[in-house]
This record gives sequence, structure tokens and C-alpha cells, in this order.
Amino acid sequence: MTEEFEQTIPEVLTEPDHEPEAPVTGKVRLEAAWGSTEGDEDLSVTENTAPRNEGHVFKQQYKPWNGQLNPRWMRNWAILRHHLLGIFKKGHRPWGVPIRLFLLVVFVASLTDVAMVIVSGLIGDSGLHSVWGVSRDNLYGHVLGFLPRNMLYYPVVAALLVGGVISEDRQHGTSAMYFSRPITRFDYVSMKFISVAVIQALIILVTLGLYYFAEIVSMGRGWAWILDTFPMFLATVISGVLLIFTYTSIGLALSSVSKGKFFPGIALLSIVLGTKVLAFIVSNLFDREILYLLSPYDCLAHVGQAIIGTQPTYDQYSWTWSLASLAAMNALALFTLSSRVSSMEVTRE
Amino acid sequence: MATKPDTVFRSLDRKAAAIVEFTLRQYRTRTSTWVVLGVGFTALALIFMIYIDVMGSEFESVDNDGDSFDYDGDGYPTGQELRLGTDPFSDESHPGMFNPPINPEPASNYINEDGFDWDVTASIGEQTTGYDNDGDCLNSDKTASQKDTNDNGIPCDIIIQITTSPTGQMSFNVIADDGVDEDPDEDAYSREATHIAFVLAIGKLGFVLLLGIFLPLFMATGLIREEMTSGTMHFMIAKPIARSEIFLYRVLGYLGIVWPYIIVLGILGALVSGFVGSGDEFFRFADLGVWLAIIFATMMATLVYGMMFNALGVLWKYGIILAIPFAAWELGMALLSMGVPDATILRFSVIGWALMIVDSAAMLVWPSLDMFILMGDWGGGGTGSDIFGSSSLRGSVPLSFFTSKPGLGLSAFASTIVATLVLLVQAVVFWFIGGVLFKGKEIQ
Amino acid sequence: MIPDFDQQGKAQTKEWTPDVQAPAILLENVSKSYGRIFALSNITLALNGGVTGILGMNGAGKSTLFNILMGKIKVSQGSVKLFGTNPWKNPAPYARVGFVPEHEKMYDWMTAHGFVSTFARLNGLTRDEAGIEADRVLDFVGLTDVAYKKIGQFSKGMRQRVKIAHALVNDPELIILDEPLQGCDPLARTTIMNVIRELGKMGRTVLVSSHILQEIERITEQIVILHQGRLLALGNLHSIRERLDQIPHRISIESENPKALAKDIIDIDEVFGISFPGGQNVSIQTHNLGAIHSRLPKIIVDNNHKVSSIDNPDDDLASILGYLTSGGRV
Repeated sequence: MTEEFEQTIPEVLTEPDHEPEAPVTGKVRLEAAWGSTEGDEDLSVTENTAPRNEGHVFKQQYKPWNGQLNPRWMRNWAILRHHLLGIFKKGHRPWGVPIRLFLLVVFVASLTDVAMVIVSGLIGDSGLHSVWGVSRDNLYGHVLGFLPRNMLYYPVVAALLVGGVISEDRQHGTSAMYFSRPITRFDYVSMKFISVAVIQALIILVTLGLYYFAEIVSMGRGWAWILDTFPMFLATVISGVLLIFTYTSIGLALSSVSKGKFFPGIALLSIVLGTKVLAFIVSNLFDREILYLLSPYDCLAHVGQAIIGTQPTYDQYSWTWSLASLAAMNALALFTLSSRVSSMEVTRE
Repeated sequence: MATKPDTVFRSLDRKAAAIVEFTLRQYRTRTSTWVVLGVGFTALALIFMIYIDVMGSEFESVDNDGDSFDYDGDGYPTGQELRLGTDPFSDESHPGMFNPPINPEPASNYINEDGFDWDVTASIGEQTTGYDNDGDCLNSDKTASQKDTNDNGIPCDIIIQITTSPTGQMSFNVIADDGVDEDPDEDAYSREATHIAFVLAIGKLGFVLLLGIFLPLFMATGLIREEMTSGTMHFMIAKPIARSEIFLYRVLGYLGIVWPYIIVLGILGALVSGFVGSGDEFFRFADLGVWLAIIFATMMATLVYGMMFNALGVLWKYGIILAIPFAAWELGMALLSMGVPDATILRFSVIGWALMIVDSAAMLVWPSLDMFILMGDWGGGGTGSDIFGSSSLRGSVPLSFFTSKPGLGLSAFASTIVATLVLLVQAVVFWFIGGVLFKGKEIQ
Repeated sequence: MIPDFDQQGKAQTKEWTPDVQAPAILLENVSKSYGRIFALSNITLALNGGVTGILGMNGAGKSTLFNILMGKIKVSQGSVKLFGTNPWKNPAPYARVGFVPEHEKMYDWMTAHGFVSTFARLNGLTRDEAGIEADRVLDFVGLTDVAYKKIGQFSKGMRQRVKIAHALVNDPELIILDEPLQGCDPLARTTIMNVIRELGKMGRTVLVSSHILQEIERITEQIVILHQGRLLALGNLHSIRERLDQIPHRISIESENPKALAKDIIDIDEVFGISFPGGQNVSIQTHNLGAIHSRLPKIIVDNNHKVSSIDNPDDDLASILGYLTSGGRV
């Protein structure tokens, strides 16, 4: 090897034009650039000193890691915890101050009915209680009411959460950090899914529970009342879970197909609100409700009305159609998500 | 190479052309652009398909005055008995007892037998109009007072009273003589009303609101911000070009893709609704004016929102979070403008002004829309055709919902001009704000 | 007033007439602070002509300095002038400036030619002119063959050269290159260095930043050393070195019998330390390089030492930076 090296050097050095300080023009410069030297060596030094013949081979020692790999659920729990705790404190997944601020605002705003129930219990105003107390309609409204909750609160929360949850990992190259560890892609995605869903549940379901609890405490409800109302409370919880699941799966599917941070969020919002507005136009104009089947929110509301037992506002078709439509939407979203993630290239984009 | 005299303008528009061209090419390479445009097209196409289907089907004819029914079971519809002077509630009295006996007419003759023939326009005061086509009022058997149940001295007419409240709110009152214009043709009315309501609804909500807000939300928010976060903005600002110019030219590039899209969609909409819409003529040429206004208003909305969302993107990394509540506010304002078009709060929105352009055009193209809605609401004054017992004809409720007057109290033409100017001023203000924000931004 | 729709022909006049007397770069008492942290403090600098290397460790303030020069950030104190104009207020001087940003990210969907010509048009060139100029500069950096390929397919070095081409397209008088050699393979590095040297020979003012000292050493002798936001040194590499006589120098001698050589050398007054870095080497530390060099040959010859090499390993930028930034301690 050294012999070859020695042969090449003089070839270059015979031409004074190729010296580093020589004027470099056009063709000659290019020859110097693309010429036979490697380019990085200091030519003025190589001119004076002979190439060294010595070399070292360092002894390599590889020690296999003999530790015990934690069980799968424990590794997954670490991912989940990393995402969830990021909402509350530093040192975990950074969610961004505006997002956390918005979550706080929505959480507080979702507590309005709780506050009103407590107030009505304290001042003993039955009129106030009849408006705000726990009833089928109010339970429905807490989770599925359109204005303001499903227009301004919950879809926006979902949009902000799913916005960067997968796409940001791809953008920053941090998904490679996950995949270089003993974590399957399925686990990775499902933990992302669960963490986003749990954060939404903190806002939607926890406030719902607080609402129910506040009624029991402030109005001094007994077991009889609880036995009476528990089925509809449970139905509300189920419809809330359905809502969270649907928003999350659509949102994550969008997050997995896009690179940017804005796109999944806006796309989720435009799907939820856009289809709603279009269906509203059609049902108002032509008295046809068929387009509601395309709107995730309306399907959720229809199913919710059926299982909670409030007066249905969709009367042209059975709620099972809405349920089927929801199933189809979720299936499509989850299919997109899984196929995208399993074929995702772990590179920085 | 020819040398041209160079002016500041020449040099400026060279830079403008470069950035606009660059922006367009950048959009072209993004999948999300095509997804957004495609989804917008699909959503509107879906609604147009439903519209075509509705227009192709028959609107059910309703017997608004109930005179096609044979109450006494003698085989003669009530209308025929009334016209011939027999008792419709007694099977002992029917035209078959006449000499010579008269054969019963089919009941369908007494559905849609007396349509609207109002020839007045909406103006303040009391007017009289209407004509009894089927003759159940002009029927000679009636006494003079029976023919003039609204007591205005004119037999068999309709009084239309239009009054204004001190707040400027117009209220309508229709008092008809018995049997005048009492059974209008639903198919004709509802088809026309549905068509007009559709054009207004799709124009206001579909084009101006949905396209007007979501296109900028998707495409304009990142115009500057995405370049800043990805680090490619360095190339652009290291050139002898002011930052507010970059801001403007980027928006122009965005308009370069959004405006043609809106124009194409608008023309498609105009063609479909022009051919499919109601009426005897082959193509509804008059509607083109409204479609022109819809296209124009959407273009203005995308301009203002584009400037604004771009500025929000410059202002903050999470500009989208600022844009979303604003979009919700605009949605609320859009709904408000349908109900209370002269609310002062609308003046602080963008959509209020944009919708004013559509409303003005509707007023110019369909000048008698008020009377038309009034006819449908009155619907012959009969027993009612829907479950709520309202006598209004199908189509009139959505039509009155989607119709509103430009709220400035000016003429339609003046309103259009004022609204356009206001929107332009808004766009310039947001450009200015965005430019100032961008200029003061330290880019790392 | 007629817009230039066809975009042909040649642009004639410039919108902005520069101050001919003003130096390319003039910084007066420039400071930049982020809260209580000073990224740059009290820098005064005037540069005109030639290649200047800006040296400093990561975070020394090189990029901040360039960001200030390119009007990307605002100075907290002091004044910045490019050709006599404050670039934060007025972007006009950039007509005479070419800038190669440090950031890797480029428009991957554009071709090299498209990228260069599009951004050339932002200098006010017509479309035709920009195309011709783009061909010229792409040839200059040796990318003619791949001019119509997408930048996304390029290697790091090629991308770096595209960036340089884009900066040269308006034939600038001042060229600022932020870490142009970072992450390039040796081949690309040599090409880029040659391009920079050539620009210096053409009389342009070139500013190159790097934290790799050998690179700068091969490009230029005129250097500016920044450390923790302060100007540490400015001027010719060798003259800076000579001004630092009170700072210990090192001489390394390779000999057959280093211990014996050391015994003889230790008698010299100016030597204050000797160490054996290993092998056959002796390392001498001194404050007075000249005295050692005048006495060393005599000692070697008198005592009949066999010396294979004498080297001043300190006489490069690495050691200067080391001395300066450690406050004189070795």
C-alpha cells in the first residue's frame, strides 16, 4: 500500500500549478480537485517527510451484554410513561408549552358543568340544578355536545396531540432511537396511540367522572339514585371512549402519512368539522341525512344518542348505520396507520 | 441579448416572478397540496351529486287547501263541489244530482290548481295582488262579502302588508280572500327555491367558508414559517430583497395555485347548477352573476386569510393554534350573517364582508327573492303540509335561512364595492402586520 | 412602468448605489446578547479584500457574527455596516454579497440549475441572464455534469458546492461561507478550498468560518479568532504567533538518545521544561524560541547527537487557539 502511495505523490508535485497556493483556474484547478491525491493531506508536509510505514492494530474486545431484558410490557410502559409525564413535567417527551396550555384551558372549560352543579348544590337553587344537574341530556352534552365541546375543545385537543406525535419523531430522527432498541413497531405505535388516548381521556372522561361525582356529593345523592343513573353514566363513558378512539385513530393515521407538524392537526380538524358542515348543508337544503354517515362526529353523536337514550336528532336511518360507519372509519384509519408504520423508513426526513 | 431600460418596477417584478414561480413549483412537489385540493373537490362534488339527484326527482305535490279530498264520500272532490255550489260535507248534495248530472272529476285536478300570480315587489306599505285561477272565489254563488273576506273592497285578492320596525327589521303579513292562490304548485316552487337555496348555501358555506378558510389554513400557514423552521429561509433573506416583499410574493405564489382552483371549481359549479337547475330555459344564465360573486368572494377570502395565517405563522411557531380559534370565530360569524346580516360584530370579521358580496349579487340577480320567500312561507295559507302544521312550502325555510340582505343598508352594487374595498384593506393590513413581524424576526 | 413579463434581456442599472469608500464589512463595538448571555461582545472589525478565516470553537460566536452580517439577527449594541449600509434595516447591500449558510437543508426537489438560477433572479436578474449565470457558476464549482439533477440526489460535498455556486451567481464582492467544509469528504474539501482560494485571488473579500484549524490554515493566513463571543486575535497567522512570545513554545526533537540530549539541553537558561512524549522524542518548552533555535545546533553538533528531525508543533492554529483560550496556561 505504501508503495502505491509513494508513486502517486510525486506525480502531483511535479506540476507546480497544483500546489495549494498556486492560482487555481478552470481546468487545472479541477484536475487538482479531482486528481489522484486524496485531497485532505497537507501537501507541503508530504513533500518533506517520507510516509511512515508503521501501523497499529488495536486489540478489540467485545463483551456481550448478559443482563436480563425486561419484559415487553415494562419496555412499553417506559414509552407510555415518557409520553404521559411529558404533559406534566420536564425531562419527558416535550409537548410544547402552547399545547399544554391549551390542554389546561380545555380541562378547566370542561369543568363548567361540575362548577355549576356544585354552585347549585350550595345555594340550593333547583332551577339552576335542573339546567346543569346530571341528566341524560347533560351527560350526552358533556361528551358529545357540538357547541362548544366538539367544535372548539375535543377535536382541537386531538388535533394538537396527534399533530407531531409520529411525524415529529420522523422529522427529528428520534424514531430511529426507538427502533434501535428491542421494541417492535407495533408496540411503538400502540403506545403512542394509548398515550394520546389517555391524555384525551384525562380531559373528557375524568371531567365526566368529576361531574357525576360532584352531583352525588353536592346534592347528597343516595344509592338509589346511583343505581338509577349509573347505566346512563356508563353509556356516556362508552360513547366517550368511542369518541376518543375514533379521533385518535384518524389523527394518528394522518400523522403517520405526513411529514409536517401542521398537516395532521389541520387535516383532523377539517375532517371532523368539514364533514359536519357539509352534512349540515345537505340535510338542511335537501332534507337528506345520508352525508352524516361520512362525518365522524355525527356518527358518534348518533350512536351516543342511541346508547345514552336521548332524543335522536337523526331520524332518517338507524343508529346501527352510524355504528357501522364508525367501524369502517376506524378500520380504514388503523389499516393506514399500521401499513404506514410497518413500511416506514427509519430515517431523518 | 437586447438591453432593456431598467426601472425599479422591472427589477421588482423580476424578483416577484422568481418567488411566485418558486412557490408554485414548491407546492407542486408536495403531496399534501394535491390531497387538499383533491379532497376539496371531492367534498363539493359529493354535494353536487346530491343536488343533481334532488333536482332530478319529483317534488311531491301537496293539496295545500285540502279540496281534493272527498269528505262526504259521494265521489266528488270537495273542490268540485265547492265550485258547483253543493255541500261538500253531505253525500245528499253533490253535482250528480244536477240535471243533467255532472261526472266527478279526478282528485288530482284539485291539487296545485291555483298557483301564485303575485306581480308586486317587496316595498313598504300595503299592496294588493293575486288572481283566483280556479274560480273558487270568483264563483258567482258567493256573496260580495264572501268574496272579500279581507275587507279591502276588492273581491278575490291578496293583501300584502310590509312594515318596518324602528330597528329596520321588515315584517310581512299576508291576508288573502278565501280561495285565492290557495293551492300552489309544489314542484315548481320547491324546485326553484331549492335551487336558489343550494346556490347560496354552497356558495356561502361550501366555497366562501370551507374553501375560504381551510385552503389558507392548509397552504398559507407555513409559507414563511416552514422555511424558517427547516432552515431554507436563509437562502431567500440573503438576497437584496425586503422581507415584506418576500412575504407578499410568497402569498402571491399561494394565490397562484388557490385562485385558479377556485375559479375552476366555481365554473364547474355554475355549469352544473345552470344545466340541472329548475326553469324552462336550457341554461340559467342569470345565475352566472351569483356564481361570479361566489368565485370573487372566495378569492378575496382566501387572499385575506392567506395574508393573516401567513402572518400568524411568522408571529409564532405554533401559529396554527392562533389560526384555529380564529377559524372557529369566522364559522360563528358566517352563521350569524345568515340570521342577522346587519349585526355590527360582523364588521370585525372577514367572512361577514365576503358573504356580503354574495348577498349583494343575489339581490341583483334575484330582485324578487323576498316576495318569493314570502310566497313559500305563506304557502297558500292552507292547513299545512308538514308535521308541524306549518303551511309553508318545502324549500322556503332553507331558502330564507341562506338568504340575507347585505347589512349596510346600501344598494347591492354599492355594498359589493364597499365590501371589496374593506377586504382589500384587510389584506393590506395583514400584509403590513406580517411584513413588520417578519422584518423584526431574528432568524437563527 | 411596464412589468417585465417576458423576462429577457439584461438588467441594466442597480437600484442601490454603494458607498465606494466604505469597507466591505465594518463592525463597531458590536454586541449581541440573549438575556444575560453574550453571544458576541464588543467586536470591532473592518475587513476588505482577501480571504479571512474566522476561527473559534463551537459556540464561539462565529454563526452569530454571520447572522448579524446577513441581517438575520439584530445587534444589541454597536453598528454593523456592509458596504456602508446597515443590513438589518436595508437588504440592498446583499446585491454585492454571496452567502453560504451552514444549514444542511436545501430544496431537494429542485435541480442544481433551477436552484441557482431561481435565487439569482432574486438579485434582479432576468430569467435568461440567471440561466446563463447559473451555468457559469456551476461550471466554476465543477457541477456542470449534474446541473439538471435533483439536489436531493446529491452528496454532501455536491450540495455544499451548489450552495457556493448559488452564492457566487451575482458575482459578489463579499462572500461569506459558514462552515463550508463541514462534513465533506476530502475530495469535495479540496475542491471547495481551491474555489475559496481562487476567489481570494480574484480580489474578492471572502469570509470563511471553521472550527477545524488545518482547513483554515490551508486556505488563508489572515485570521480572526473568536472565543466566547470575544475577539481574541486578528491578523496574520504568523505575526500573531510572534506576538505571543511570553507564551511557552514547544520544540520537539527526534533523536537516537533522547535522554542524553535532554541532559545537555537543560543547561540552556531559556528552557523551562523537558518532557518525553514517547519513542525517541524530546519535547522542550521555552519562552524564547529564537534563543533556543540559535543555540540548539551548536549543542547538537558539539555533543554529537544524532537528530532525525526538529519540529515546532505549536506553530499552527490549534496551539494558538489553545494558548489564547486557556488564558496563557498550557
